[in-house]
Amino acid sequence: MNHPEEMKALFGVSEEDLRRLVTIALSNGGDYADLYFEHSISNELTLRDSEINGAGTHVDYGVGIRVLSGEKTGYAYTEITTMKEMERAARTASAIASDPGRDIGPLSLSLAEFPRRYKASIPWADKTVSDRIPYLREIDSLVFSADPRVNKVMARISDSNTNILFYNSDGVFATDERPMCSVAVTCIMKDNGVTENGSASRSFRSGFEMLSEELVKELAAEVVTKTSMQFGALRPSGGEMPVVMGSGSSGILLHEAIGHAFEADFNRLGTSIFSDKLGKRICSEEISVVDDGTIFANRGSISFDDEGIESQKTYMVRNGILNSYLHDRISANYYKTAPTGNGRRESFRHMPLPRMRATYMEGGSAKESDIIASVKKGIFVDNFSNGQVQIGAGDFTFFVKSGYLIENGKLTSPIKDINIIGNGPEALADIVAVADNPVIDNGTWTCGKEQYCAVSCGMPTVLVNKLTVGGVN
Amino acid sequence: MFKNLKEVAQRALERAMKEGCRDVRVGSDMLIQSSFSVRNDKLDRLHQSTGSSLYLQLYVDGRYGYYSTNRTEERELNAFIKNAVEATRLISYDPDRVLPSKELYFKGKEFDLKQFDNSYDSVSPEVKKEIAFACAAEMFGKDKRVVSVNCEYGDSLEYYYMADTGGFEGEMKQTLFTISSECSVKDRGDARPEAWWYESSLMFDSLVREGTGRTAMERALSRLNPKKMKSGKYNMVIENTVASRVISPIISALNGSAIQQKNSFLEGKLGNRLFPENLYFMDRPHIIGAEGSRFYDGEGIATKNINIIEAGVVNTYFINTYNSRKLGMPVTIEGPSVLSCSLGENFPSGRPVNGVSEILNKMERGILVTGFNGGNTNSSSGDFSFGVQGFYFENGKVLHPIKEMNVTGNIVTLWNSVAEIGDDPRNTSRWLIPTLAFESVNFNGN
Repeated sequence: MNHPEEMKALFGVSEEDLRRLVTIALSNGGDYADLYFEHSISNELTLRDSEINGAGTHVDYGVGIRVLSGEKTGYAYTEITTMKEMERAARTASAIASDPGRDIGPLSLSLAEFPRRYKASIPWADKTVSDRIPYLREIDSLVFSADPRVNKVMARISDSNTNILFYNSDGVFATDERPMCSVAVTCIMKDNGVTENGSASRSFRSGFEMLSEELVKELAAEVVTKTSMQFGALRPSGGEMPVVMGSGSSGILLHEAIGHAFEADFNRLGTSIFSDKLGKRICSEEISVVDDGTIFANRGSISFDDEGIESQKTYMVRNGILNSYLHDRISANYYKTAPTGNGRRESFRHMPLPRMRATYMEGGSAKESDIIASVKKGIFVDNFSNGQVQIGAGDFTFFVKSGYLIENGKLTSPIKDINIIGNGPEALADIVAVADNPVIDNGTWTCGKEQYCAVSCGMPTVLVNKLTVGGVN
Repeated sequence: MFKNLKEVAQRALERAMKEGCRDVRVGSDMLIQSSFSVRNDKLDRLHQSTGSSLYLQLYVDGRYGYYSTNRTEERELNAFIKNAVEATRLISYDPDRVLPSKELYFKGKEFDLKQFDNSYDSVSPEVKKEIAFACAAEMFGKDKRVVSVNCEYGDSLEYYYMADTGGFEGEMKQTLFTISSECSVKDRGDARPEAWWYESSLMFDSLVREGTGRTAMERALSRLNPKKMKSGKYNMVIENTVASRVISPIISALNGSAIQQKNSFLEGKLGNRLFPENLYFMDRPHIIGAEGSRFYDGEGIATKNINIIEAGVVNTYFINTYNSRKLGMPVTIEGPSVLSCSLGENFPSGRPVNGVSEILNKMERGILVTGFNGGNTNSSSGDFSFGVQGFYFENGKVLHPIKEMNVTGNIVTLWNSVAEIGDDPRNTSRWLIPTLAFESVNFNGN
């Protein structure tokens, strides 16, 4: 449905209406205004106790109107797209500015075409609940048959399709259709009176074609392996030690330790620990860190951001130098640079902020086996649940669901349920080896900076010389 | 304004029944919000919005579906409901998907919980801005180490109507007025520690308008020059602002869904004494003027005073109708409304130890936790590991801030080392959790 005429019909607006709304939004003299129309339909289907026990559909619809005046933002939204309601919202947003009567001249409007970063080959709307059910049943069956200790299985398919119509005072008119699907499974095992749980998930900006026998098998095998590992796993002695972060989901280190601190809103305000580091060396020259919105069908990808800027691959760190912050329009204007396509929002109810997309480290030259062999006493981690950061102090954390002790260069006892804490700049500088095995993790990563936003992350195996590991003393 | 929401909900309920539902629960809400933010000494953001949604829970031929939309024009809504009923028919038959027994429903208003301020519309944008500017002025330019300050005044009006075909009908209105502040200060090197403070009230006239900015600045400045401590056992005092972090894993473990899915460290523990015999967790849902007070839960079931942990014994799970039938256990409310805890059955306890300073004196030496940084709890075992921020204290005196430390243990074991529970809950959240103190807790540092 990504045809501009269909989108205008969906939201009941003409080009003249769009111009009129932006004119009202700028009637108090703002520098810039945009309109963000959104219509999303999301579905979910859940399996519990080996039965499909719940179905749901959720429809959300509305328009957000934003006015920028210097670094100031006025924002209002309405769920009713009559001109009367939208004009009221535009007037509300306009109140941020205080220079009424300024002539903004005639507004242009031209269709902006952006490279497509995703496509639902089989739209979710073309498929029924019955089409989705076999995949959940197959996951349930595979997990139960894989291990006699399996006690319970919960699985869920969530899919959505979001239609966007965007117009701004620069004349940019763009439309987008953004699909998303997540499949998640949780397994509960019981053995000799001990209960353990594990989870696995995959998420892509994709249509129904994402669901496949291979995906189901992969998820079932992964959740059984992860849950099994928990039995017999211990908590290590806590304290400072070397940490080998396995490839893939260890990208959470980048997201928490440096990604947020590179978001330009924090730096513009001087509240990030990296505020004075642009153009300076912050880590080994072997390290390059990217925030990329262009990977086809990736959960964090966007064809254009929620401010009408084309998505791009942004080198935050190139060969050890802090190369670029992640910008929205406000911060790009402040730094007199081009926006990086990171202005994102949860929905029309929210104003855009600099947000990550797919954040990953490029591969290095070391071998994972050599990195592990180089550690006398430490831990190897590759399965995480959540993380957090204090932007100004730089202290970040991530929670490790499972991993291994490293003793004399070898993986030995499994470990679980420990929090790891470090300081962003110090941890980045403490990465002393980068392996040649970069992997993007395709789990259901969601960032919670003020609003929720779909992201992803990735990493090659790296050795961090020193992090503080939660454990028993 | 609200009458229309009610009519839409009732129309949707009737329509769903016509489409063949055996039972329906319908909800309709409206949320009106506004906020003004000041960054340093300038207006930074204004935000204003009105939103509403319709929620439908459909019980169709022993099957269940949950739907929502904010598109409530009659023809579109009818089509949405028709599709929803058809989709629900496609999933598994589950005889346990039913409405609650009627005798459990809240039957009607008993008294005013004082959740709604009739003067909501009379607070002018100028006053709102003035409050935000005054808050920022308490920090901006007051100390040369201050890097950035942000203050926000916000208010909201929420209305929720709920009805079902079992005969339940109820509506709730709540206003909320808030002032929040953040302050970043320059430390050694590149670090810029930040701190926040927050005040809220259901009534505009009761909102504490002074001191929010100053408190945030003082808290930020107190975090300068942190030190990492040696790993080891320390007494732990948790400030009332964040103490709910060590209660929520227990409340989650009491949830009927976790119990039914055998994914709770409290499964099979109902009636067991797991905690010290003077420990009480209590829900007091009818406290007048408390943010979390309510007469009924999400199924319409009447709330009442309960002791969740009573004299150290696990006294209740939180079992909704569905899990009740799955587990063969009685229905309770689905979760606590105004939760608190004390050593002794009375709340407030009236004990001589009141707040954090008295408790620090009692605990002699240890770590005062004023913030958590990430971490998680294993729902099957209760094992936890959290990042912490706070201060090292000795003889009741705070000596210095700490950095990069974790606290690691088991949540049941932790509560068995509880030493003090204060009488100082902040009234700015739904749970009224006071300052807590625990003995000999495992911290990880250098």
